[in-house]
Amino acid sequence: MKQFAYLKGDRVIWTIVFLLSLLSILVVYSSVVTLANKYKQGNAETYLIKHSITIIGGIFIMYFIHKLRYTIFSRVGQIGIFLVVPLLLFTLLKGVSAGEASRWVEIPGLGLTFQSSDVAKIILLIFVARTITVKQGQLNDLKSVLKYIILPVGLICALILPANFSTAALLFVCCLFTMFVGGIHIKIIMKILGMCIIASFAFLLIVWYAPEAIPGGRGPTWKARLENFRTGDSKSNYQSEQAKIAIATGGVIGKGPGNSTQRAFLPQASSDFIYAIIIEEYGLFTGFVMLFLYMILLFRGIRILRDSEKTFGGLMAVALSFSLVFQALINMAVAVNLFPVTGQPLPLVSMGGTSIWFTCIAIGIILSVSRANELKEVITE
Amino acid sequence: MENKKDILSRTYLVYIFLCVFALAILYKICIIQFKEGDEWKAKAEAFNTKVFEIEAVRGNIFDVNMNLLATSLPYYEVAVDINAPSIDKKLFDGKIDSLGFMLSELFKDKTSKQYNKILRKARKSGDRYVVLKRNVSYKDLLVLKTFPIFKRGKRGGLVTLQTNKRELPFQMLAARTIGMSRPGIKPVGLEGAFDTTLMGVSGQRLMQKIAGDVWRPINDENEVEPKDGSDLITTIDINIQDVAENALEKTLIKNNASHGCAILMEVKTGAIKAIANLTRNGKDSSSYSYSENLNYAVLNATEPGSTFKLASLMAVIDEYNVSLDEKVPVGNGEVTYYNKTIKDAHAPAEPVLTLQRVFETSSNVGVAKTIMKYFSKDPQKYVDKINSFHLNQKLGLSIPGEASPLIKNTKGPDWSGVTLAQMSYGYETLLTPLQILAFYNAVANDGRMVKPRFEKEIIKNGKSVKTFTTEVLVEQIAKKETIKKAKIMMEGVVLNGSGKGLNITAFKVGGKTGTAQIAKAGKKGYGVAGDRNYQASFVGYFPADKPLYTCIVVIYNPSKGAYYGGLIAGPVFKEIAEKVYSSSLDFMEPINNKQNLLTKAPASIKSKNDEMLIASNALQLPVKSNATEGNYVSRNTIDSTSVALVSNNLESQLKKGIVPNLNGLSAKDALFLLENSGFHVKLYGMGSVRKQSIEAGQKFNRGDKITLILS
Repeated sequence: MKQFAYLKGDRVIWTIVFLLSLLSILVVYSSVVTLANKYKQGNAETYLIKHSITIIGGIFIMYFIHKLRYTIFSRVGQIGIFLVVPLLLFTLLKGVSAGEASRWVEIPGLGLTFQSSDVAKIILLIFVARTITVKQGQLNDLKSVLKYIILPVGLICALILPANFSTAALLFVCCLFTMFVGGIHIKIIMKILGMCIIASFAFLLIVWYAPEAIPGGRGPTWKARLENFRTGDSKSNYQSEQAKIAIATGGVIGKGPGNSTQRAFLPQASSDFIYAIIIEEYGLFTGFVMLFLYMILLFRGIRILRDSEKTFGGLMAVALSFSLVFQALINMAVAVNLFPVTGQPLPLVSMGGTSIWFTCIAIGIILSVSRANELKEVITE
Repeated sequence: MENKKDILSRTYLVYIFLCVFALAILYKICIIQFKEGDEWKAKAEAFNTKVFEIEAVRGNIFDVNMNLLATSLPYYEVAVDINAPSIDKKLFDGKIDSLGFMLSELFKDKTSKQYNKILRKARKSGDRYVVLKRNVSYKDLLVLKTFPIFKRGKRGGLVTLQTNKRELPFQMLAARTIGMSRPGIKPVGLEGAFDTTLMGVSGQRLMQKIAGDVWRPINDENEVEPKDGSDLITTIDINIQDVAENALEKTLIKNNASHGCAILMEVKTGAIKAIANLTRNGKDSSSYSYSENLNYAVLNATEPGSTFKLASLMAVIDEYNVSLDEKVPVGNGEVTYYNKTIKDAHAPAEPVLTLQRVFETSSNVGVAKTIMKYFSKDPQKYVDKINSFHLNQKLGLSIPGEASPLIKNTKGPDWSGVTLAQMSYGYETLLTPLQILAFYNAVANDGRMVKPRFEKEIIKNGKSVKTFTTEVLVEQIAKKETIKKAKIMMEGVVLNGSGKGLNITAFKVGGKTGTAQIAKAGKKGYGVAGDRNYQASFVGYFPADKPLYTCIVVIYNPSKGAYYGGLIAGPVFKEIAEKVYSSSLDFMEPINNKQNLLTKAPASIKSKNDEMLIASNALQLPVKSNATEGNYVSRNTIDSTSVALVSNNLESQLKKGIVPNLNGLSAKDALFLLENSGFHVKLYGMGSVRKQSIEAGQKFNRGDKITLILS
């Protein structure tokens, strides 16, 4: 494979990245840019160029990361966990002072903003993978698991939660997954899960009966979303309804690129509901292919785990790929109204500057592990 | 890695779980597409969107002096999105009462309680688009935007949809000629003729169907902004139009006529300065109110009657060089051709009249006999001559609907033995008032026939886009000699013929009366007296010596006994002519040469030297000045080449304590000079100084009083 001469690591993952990026440019173009192009002359190409540059930049980042030795990330996880806490705290407090839920942090001087939870996600997963690997012998009872893993995980998720409930929940599930895959005893995980269920039930009660009590001011929004999902109220459940119309009218082969009409009604056509727009324009078939691509991505992640000699690398790779794919499935589930509206973007496909780059970093790390595996294969041969 | 197998199997377990998840998503898609598909597609229909055309602001129509004849005023449909995300509970509860109150105060169509109820109900049901009022003026919209909640701008929930309404500031004046353009109706007048120019380019707005046939805009702004239309400057002068319309209405009422029209046209350019068309409202002849409903001037081709005699006699004169003194035997005013007896309205004074008298007294018999004498052998020659006057063709007006004239042809199936005689005095022929006017205008214009036009210029944003020029239809309709004779005949009509009394003290008028009998609808032929309708007209030009304007007045179906053109249409003509004279600079003697220019210069002017130079330059007066800057000067001598200015030592005289000659000084300059020298000045009148209470050359002291009389 000549064209992959410079790219190390799993070629299938690279291929999936390219395919999804291409699709992303096409769909973002039609969901945002074509509308702009059709009705507002002028800023159409700016969107397209900006998004394309973001994606190309992301691929460069991915390339750079995958060239690194993956063992470096062990250190990143170890130190990063101490940096993430103040970062999240800063974001949260800034948000509180501004009177609204804040997710974004600006990098001074560059004018770039990023969601601190994006950073936290990667670092926390690396941290969990690392802890499981390092403390392999000690994690045999609930107490030590709580102490070494659940405490930091819980802290970080709690810091993310006020501004972005779904991200916090998703991240927590990913950590649980990593623990499960990492060999933590089922009984311990079940106990933790039990605690979680009790905690989340309590949380739901608060949301339901006293949404204003939640710091960050997102309580009422969550309540509304829950309510909408529960009642299926056609008037207020506007977004889901529009998404369903998009899916229904798309049919098996779709309306064709740029022909979406629902993008005008879906407020988040280029991120949260992009999957619905994809089905509207490119049909059920493409929707299926995308699902398939994400499942292959996870499968390749598992392959990397299988091929890894060291637990850390494999665990990290599978944890990151799980988090990406799981997020993708959640996004799609929202788009098809299997889940309540959460606001999770579709990794690699949804528009969004730095968010795409963090996804690329995650994939870069996965590829870096894969590259190391390949090197060993070469040596053992 | 001793537990790798365990790790892998756990991973696969999760993988299988995720595969199930993925399948569930796929399943849900299939459910939405196939099972619920029709339901959602139906909803998609309900959520229909459409790109609506946003009408551009239509260009204005101006009269020749830039008075607005037609303009578009924006009106708004005002709706509220009371459930806009930015209107929270606190804002709503706090302000809803005062908003309801103010809406009620502004629109006065509902009580504040009713508004309150509407808004609260909409808030409760989650309604995102409640129409508050339609046809809200721009002024009221500005007030609306200051109301509580609304004043938060884009987030205040106020949604407006603009429509433009066409308004004619002068209402009825020239309304039919200004016309209208509406989808579904035939274009009318200038609005119709210049529709695309005035219309501009429509914009687009994406709208969503919310219920039944109610649409709401999706975005705050138009997707494509409309481009406004260009403006049209017409040749119409609204002041003259006003007089024409009033004079015409007065006459219509006086004679209880069914309808009428009056047109004033500029001889050289063909520019229509006024065009009035009035129709009696309602079919009932007892109605005395009139309005502009039909453009008779353009689309009403009728038998012209006597006004056509000019064409007939010009045909004879041009073809056979007949003298105006040619004797025409008219006998007792009756002549019969085949079965048709032609009669004169008044029995002729003498059995033999000159051609001039025939025309002046409008003798039907005289004209018919003359035409029969010369053309009965070859009627086609006569027809060809008439056609050479451009009377058989449309004028090709810009405004739509011009009626075709009818000039019969000898080869035509409707040509009979009496046609030539009938045609000669204006029957078996159809012409519109404007076509007749254009012909008379050609005579007034020494034979050069120009096309009547209403349009002067198209402007866009104040800049000229297109200027309309005069179009010549026929370079010379008849020999110069013929034209000269025609004018003599027409002046005779007013001087001592059927149009007597129409002369205006200031100038002479040339013209022709017309009294046509029109068959009443449903009756065959012209019938007996009771079944006759009349059409009284007068067409002429003024001033006769140097024609500047032509004018036609036609009154249809007068029903108060009088029906002669000179008596009924004449006064309208006269009133218009008088108005034109009193308001037009065209009647002033032309100022052509330098000699004139200098003698016309102000007789006595005194001013500062530099100001004088500026003024002289602006007037392009050649100036010789020996004065230095800042000095007061007065004009000294007039020679043929320049104005010479001499320094006037007003200031130095004042300094010496001597009162100078202030004659001709402007009030401002006099005040400045005298007050500076210590005078208390009293001024009477306006203009420049004519008299001064202290004579020139007298000594004065500071604090003295001086009175100046200005004029």
